[in-house]
Amino acid sequence: MPTDSGQATYLEAVGLALDSEMDRDPDVFIIGEDVGQFGGAFKVTKGFLEKFGARRVVDTPIAETGFTGLAAGAALVGLRPVVEFQFADFISCAFDPIINVLARHHWRTGDAMPVTMRAPFGGRLRAGPTHSQSVESYFAHVPGIKIVMPGTPEDAAGLLVSSIRDNSPTLYLENKYLYRRLRASGPLSLDPIPLGVAKVVREGRDVTLITYSAGVSQGLEVAEELDKDGISVEVVDIRTIVPLDVETIVNSVRKTSRAVVLHEAAKRLGYGAEIAATIQEEAFWDLDQPVVRIGALNTPTPTSPPLEDAVIPQPAQIAETLRKVARA
Amino acid sequence: MATRTRRKPDAPAGTAIADRDPVLLRRIHEVMVLTRAVEDRMVAMYKGGDLLGSLYTGHWHEAISVGAASTLRTDDYMAPIHRDLGAHLWRGMEPWQVMASFMGKATSPTGGRDGTLHYGRLDLGIYNLPSHIPANFPVATGMAFASKYRGQDRVCLAFCGDGSTSRADFHESLTMASVLKLPNVFVIENNQFAYSTPLRMQSNSETFAIKAVAYGIPGVTVDGTDALAVHDAVAEGVARARAGEGPSIVEGVTMRMHGHAEHDPADYVPKDMYDEWSKKDPVELFENVLIDAGVLDGDAAKKVREDARQLAIAARRKALADPMPEPSGIEDGVYAD
Ligand SMILES: Cc1ncc(C[n+]2csc(CCOP(=O)(O)OP(=O)(O)O)c2C)c(N)n1
Ligand SMILES: [Mg+2]
Repeated sequence: MPTDSGQATYLEAVGLALDSEMDRDPDVFIIGEDVGQFGGAFKVTKGFLEKFGARRVVDTPIAETGFTGLAAGAALVGLRPVVEFQFADFISCAFDPIINVLARHHWRTGDAMPVTMRAPFGGRLRAGPTHSQSVESYFAHVPGIKIVMPGTPEDAAGLLVSSIRDNSPTLYLENKYLYRRLRASGPLSLDPIPLGVAKVVREGRDVTLITYSAGVSQGLEVAEELDKDGISVEVVDIRTIVPLDVETIVNSVRKTSRAVVLHEAAKRLGYGAEIAATIQEEAFWDLDQPVVRIGALNTPTPTSPPLEDAVIPQPAQIAETLRKVARA
Repeated sequence: MATRTRRKPDAPAGTAIADRDPVLLRRIHEVMVLTRAVEDRMVAMYKGGDLLGSLYTGHWHEAISVGAASTLRTDDYMAPIHRDLGAHLWRGMEPWQVMASFMGKATSPTGGRDGTLHYGRLDLGIYNLPSHIPANFPVATGMAFASKYRGQDRVCLAFCGDGSTSRADFHESLTMASVLKLPNVFVIENNQFAYSTPLRMQSNSETFAIKAVAYGIPGVTVDGTDALAVHDAVAEGVARARAGEGPSIVEGVTMRMHGHAEHDPADYVPKDMYDEWSKKDPVELFENVLIDAGVLDGDAAKKVREDARQLAIAARRKALADPMPEPSGIEDGVYAD
């Protein structure tokens, strides 16, 4: 069981939030491959089996369609399942129940569908083309799924609490690169953080960087660097891509008049396209410059370090883009 | 692990008619007759242009849908498919609601948001399925899981066709249900075709029930035109599930007597198949069994049929008069409160 040392890692924050929701609500259970006696592939549920028992910590066969659909049925009759996908890459095997059952059931019928799907995603772990995918855009196009993408341990905890309590299906994407690299700055709060509320994580004057998940810590580091050159970057962490907090984004862009969108997913039809389009619809006349998107190249994610680094956005590229937009 | 085949001629009925509850027998008969009457009325509605799109019917599936549904308690769950009007009616779905669904009316179970065969009502314990077959199978395992999780003895009955058994949903659900010992009964409606695809192109398995061997659960094949054979086999599975012994498969063998849906002339079906199967009308067969056993007399049977006909006519009248939905508010409910 993760203990709250006051310095929880991103991974521990996920575990603590899940643990506290399972303490709070007997209808919450966790289901997935190797989540029980093994404690999960990344150890988010380490100790859960001992604490909550096999009734609520459910190891499954390798059957993503099966256990995702099972979660839907259990949710329909009042339980609040938390589904763990071992890697977000494998969520493609559950695409059908997510799209056709979970996402549209409430709209079709009015029945609540409180399923939380947790999935570790993303690159920079040298895990290659089918263990590094960013899957958010596959699902963002589909009405009916909320998509939660925390970039800090604090948000990982509070947003998971809200996801589990939400009556809609939520896709909660954990950035596995951040798991053991980020620590909470103080004692971790397990209070819910509302879905659909972005956060200005750094105030600035010259350009707004809109990002989420690993882009937040990456963006903040770059912003500190640029500060030395007198470029003041405002960083907006949107935290949930669905629902999207348009107001916070637009307010920031109105202030800085320049916007760069950053994510690790491929740039083409990545979520940045939606954000850029929204900005031009809502704040076109406030812009001094076109909105610029930073995302991965349109290739699968390679394994070998020099190759992966060439594909996924790197600090130098982010800094250069921000500098260019801020000074143009 | 018992996987067996029960065919009517050589398998004497387990329980004599005289030893069965006559009220239950008459109710099964009534709902089977009503199912046929509503579907015949809807075929006329389809031809007359009342419906939005095509119409999926369950002619010759009445013994399966009603025979199976009639084994459940009212607090059990059900996940039927497009041949199972009888199961819906057994649970209390109104015929006019079903017609309203095929007409896109505001009074359909989804208020016109979904339509045709996509109806269901959670308040009746019936899952409203999407198009994808058999997406109802994993959901059915979840309803059964919830029952077990809560220490209840509710059972979930799921239906699918022969063609649906080829999909991952079938395999993963059977795997999950058998490993987790979930209180499910999976009914396979083997009606010889999946749209135009005949059995021999769908599966190389000798029967569908025999697939149970691989999951380590019981599987049985019964005459799907014999309501009591279906009822008894499903009742055995339900009792087993309720007792915590896990899932089982019941395969009911019948024939799809209409096209896949009414738009489909089904000229790929050999004519002699229709000739053979037309001798095995499940509604007629069951009615004769009851009359022969003295549970029902000829006049009472006639009245059941006439009442069903009138109910179907009244249902059509109501569904036709019902309003179409208002587009305002169409964006409401994408997310739950
Ligand atoms: C995943 C999926 N593929 C294709 C279809 C289109 N489709 C609807 S019913 C059907 C045939 C189903 O055959 P079977 O399972 O035997 O049931 P039956 O209609 O014969 O009762 C097909 C191909 C579908 N609904 N879902
Ligand atoms: Mg079929």
